[in-house]
Amino acid sequence: MSGKPVKVKITYCAECGYEPQTLDLTKALMYEFGTKLSAIEIIPWESGTFDVSVDGEIVHSMKRHGGFPELATVKSAVRSRLASPRGV
Amino acid sequence: MTLDRARWDKGITYEAFKAAMTRNQERFAENESRVALDPETVRTFKSQPKPLRILALAEDWCGDVVANLPILGRLAKEVPTLDVRIFLRDQNLDLMERWLNQGKYQSIPVFVFFDENFRELGHWIERPASVTERRAAERKKIFAAHPEFGSPDAPVDQLPEDVRTRLQAELQKMREGMVSFANAEVQRELRELVNKVAV
Repeated sequence: MSGKPVKVKITYCAECGYEPQTLDLTKALMYEFGTKLSAIEIIPWESGTFDVSVDGEIVHSMKRHGGFPELATVKSAVRSRLASPRGV
Repeated sequence: MTLDRARWDKGITYEAFKAAMTRNQERFAENESRVALDPETVRTFKSQPKPLRILALAEDWCGDVVANLPILGRLAKEVPTLDVRIFLRDQNLDLMERWLNQGKYQSIPVFVFFDENFRELGHWIERPASVTERRAAERKKIFAAHPEFGSPDAPVDQLPEDVRTRLQAELQKMREGMVSFANAEVQRELRELVNKVAV
């Protein structure tokens, strides 16, 4: 797993009290991947949103998939991205 | 589970809720100050033959609570026969389970009306459907007028930051523009509810 660092974006509904889930996920990714991540961007939004994308690819959307993402799902998506061959 | 006097007394007053808010206090106060109570609403509640207890499930982080609880607070100030107690949703999940939105969502605020003997008379949840519908229609118009915002269903994290910021500003403006309509609709629904269940 020595690929180019990946960027994770977490868009959460700031009017729905989703801060704890956002922070838990952020913390878990920081501890798990450290400098293998180029950034974790947290985007306060509205309308019951909780979306997670890895390098621009949505890996979880509350509207599409329902609920919050499994941590394992997000970690797995980051690992796959890190392992995938990409342009330097 | 029934609501009784002992449980009722564990609820906090509207003023205590405001004092205990850890966020959105300014927005809440601003919303409260611009609530225009319709004289018909005040008349309807004042004309109830007996006092009403109103249990409100709320949390200070919730946008619908910040928008709609002040309406109930202002109304209770005008109508001394209304006794409002607020229960924090996340500390009272057994109460929340009783008044789920569509039987499955823990939407707040919830206003539950009781008579003096804790007999439930009716309840109101979150926001009027008419407000949700108008917001959705206005949202569609915003996206139609701004092709740069992309599809209304696309994840917003895929928009460039400056575009996303503009979209957020447009949505905020739209919501602000709907406050009078939304407040009037909340009052209309509360009047209808009370007229239907008059004690």
